[in-house]
Amino acid sequence: MAQQDNPTNKQDTQKRILMATLLSFAFFIAYDFLYVQPQAIQQEQAAKIKELEAKSSGTATTNTVANTSTSNSSAPQVVSNVSGNTAPISSDIASSKIISSITTQNNIITIDALGRIAQVTLLQKKYVDEEGNQIKLFTPSQLKPLEVRFSNRTLNDEAFKTLTTASDATLNATTGAVKLTLTQKLSTLTVTKILTIHPKGNYDLDVIVPNGEAFFITPGFRPDVLADMYADHGALLTLNDGTLTIIEDEDLDKTTTFSGVQIASAFDRYYATVLYNTIDSLELSVMADSESNPQIFIHGKNKLELKGYAGPKNYNDLTTLDPKLSQVIEYGWFTFIAKPMFQMLQYIHSILGNWGWTIVFTTILIKAVLYPLAFKGMVSMNKLKELAPQVKKLQEKYKDDKQKSSMHMMELYKKEGANPMGGCLPILLQIPVFFAIYRVLLNAIELKGSEWIWWIEDLSLMDPYYVLPILMGATMFIQQKITPNQMQDEMQKKLFMMLPIIFTFFFLWFPAGLTLYWFMNNLFTVAQQYYVNTIFAKEKVKREKEHDEKSHNRANNKK
Amino acid sequence: MIKKLSLLMLNFYQKFLTILSYGSCRYHPTCSEYAKLQFEHNNILFAFYYSIIRILKCNQLFDGGFDYPCVKKDFTNIVFKKINVKYWYIPTKTNKNYLIIKDWEFKNGTTR
Repeated sequence: MAQQDNPTNKQDTQKRILMATLLSFAFFIAYDFLYVQPQAIQQEQAAKIKELEAKSSGTATTNTVANTSTSNSSAPQVVSNVSGNTAPISSDIASSKIISSITTQNNIITIDALGRIAQVTLLQKKYVDEEGNQIKLFTPSQLKPLEVRFSNRTLNDEAFKTLTTASDATLNATTGAVKLTLTQKLSTLTVTKILTIHPKGNYDLDVIVPNGEAFFITPGFRPDVLADMYADHGALLTLNDGTLTIIEDEDLDKTTTFSGVQIASAFDRYYATVLYNTIDSLELSVMADSESNPQIFIHGKNKLELKGYAGPKNYNDLTTLDPKLSQVIEYGWFTFIAKPMFQMLQYIHSILGNWGWTIVFTTILIKAVLYPLAFKGMVSMNKLKELAPQVKKLQEKYKDDKQKSSMHMMELYKKEGANPMGGCLPILLQIPVFFAIYRVLLNAIELKGSEWIWWIEDLSLMDPYYVLPILMGATMFIQQKITPNQMQDEMQKKLFMMLPIIFTFFFLWFPAGLTLYWFMNNLFTVAQQYYVNTIFAKEKVKREKEHDEKSHNRANNKK
Repeated sequence: MIKKLSLLMLNFYQKFLTILSYGSCRYHPTCSEYAKLQFEHNNILFAFYYSIIRILKCNQLFDGGFDYPCVKKDFTNIVFKKINVKYWYIPTKTNKNYLIIKDWEFKNGTTR
């Protein structure tokens, strides 16, 4: 690497600056893509098994062939047939008619004439969209929660043409759980769904389909309130063995079957529709829609008991329903740090009561914990400031050879008994911590609609006036100015100076909460550095004074 | 395979990402350089092991300073001829263990 930077080659240098800029951008998002890969492999394997099964049972995977077999292995293909033909046609007639509407403390659930959840409207004050309307979770054209499909093709066609009746047209579940029975009388059997809706807005569901007819029920397509590139959205399954499978939107090409599933969730950034049974695990198929988005279908026969929830992924709400449900809040790779981080934030929030101040306080806390290390580093860095002339001489001497100059520098440090470098480990450790905070702040619904001071009205959205990102950039710039460093390479020096600009630009559209964290982090680093600098300056003065006095005394003694 | 990939990633890091962590290493050679030497000369498992240990040690709790990679090497079939020196193998007290010091003047073939 000695010859890595040739200062004479300007064009190459510029190319590198450009590359580095792009790469630093790419680095941030890259892990999201990397994260998908293991699952893709898993899906591939499952798909292969599926293919083998299909071949052995002699069924073709064409969309038009109806498969009357009720065996489990061929069932997913039937589902895919069903979705291809029947659902879109039937959705027009039945979805416009609402047969029942249930009001709970937190939401209004409406049921359409096919016995599906037509819409869930969130009632709490903070769940409003940009126009001030209460948030509605589902897009009408998508697969609706609690839609039932059958393996038997003719039965399935009939079911999508037959209207369902509800035991009550309006129900009020604000004070206690209510029961709603949905019945759909088909020529050969009757489909019964017994819903028990709780005041919190969650429900228990018993689906009864007699005659051993194989059927499928879905938690629906994911809510479509906030599905952007910043956070994952798609389907999430938790299995008996404690593993988590995430199938992201636009990423599914083959129907995959899972067994031993406890929780099946379809989610966007903040909201999810979940069906779960943590006692008797479920078997289900995940099937791609026309845009390769996952749709979950739970397999059932005779009777299926489920619990369901459609709403915000609020940690406290979910854990009161079932402690295991907190798993549907996922933070990607760094869950193992992100989850404790969130719990800490939640705890601090329960004391302070404001998320903005919680973030500020957390930053202080992290800084305080790391203070002894940082202090040590800063002190020895300042010590070396006095050696600056010597360092400079060395740098001049070995201008073209970085490794050699670093070697001689190290020799100098050794002689002085000070090592100014922070070390590689602290920097490497910072990366996962930052990503963890990033994911927590990005995915925590708790931050939605939470204000801080003055102009920040929602920490989960970007700063509307770009104040925080600019402050962040400014503090970063100051931090660079105030921190002594001996960067020698011109190209790197330039790039280093550009970093605050790159970061500011990058943070412009980030949630204000995250920008606040980074800003505070910089601010405290600057304060710390400033503090150490002043202490050091004072000590230096003191030392010089002593030195003066000593020489003065000596002079006196001589007299 | 893994060796090549690791070296490729290390080179990539040294070229482009190092500005994010510039001037933080407490050792000579730097952690990335150390890891490169390890991967070039050592068994892959040992290389990983020593590189990780090195990074773990690269913090304020350790003194830092000079720390050259040390590998076990068996010199057989030595051909005596005039060569460009790329590495210096410095024998240590332990039998067949050598410190590796890269010759920084070595110009890889034609460049510069």
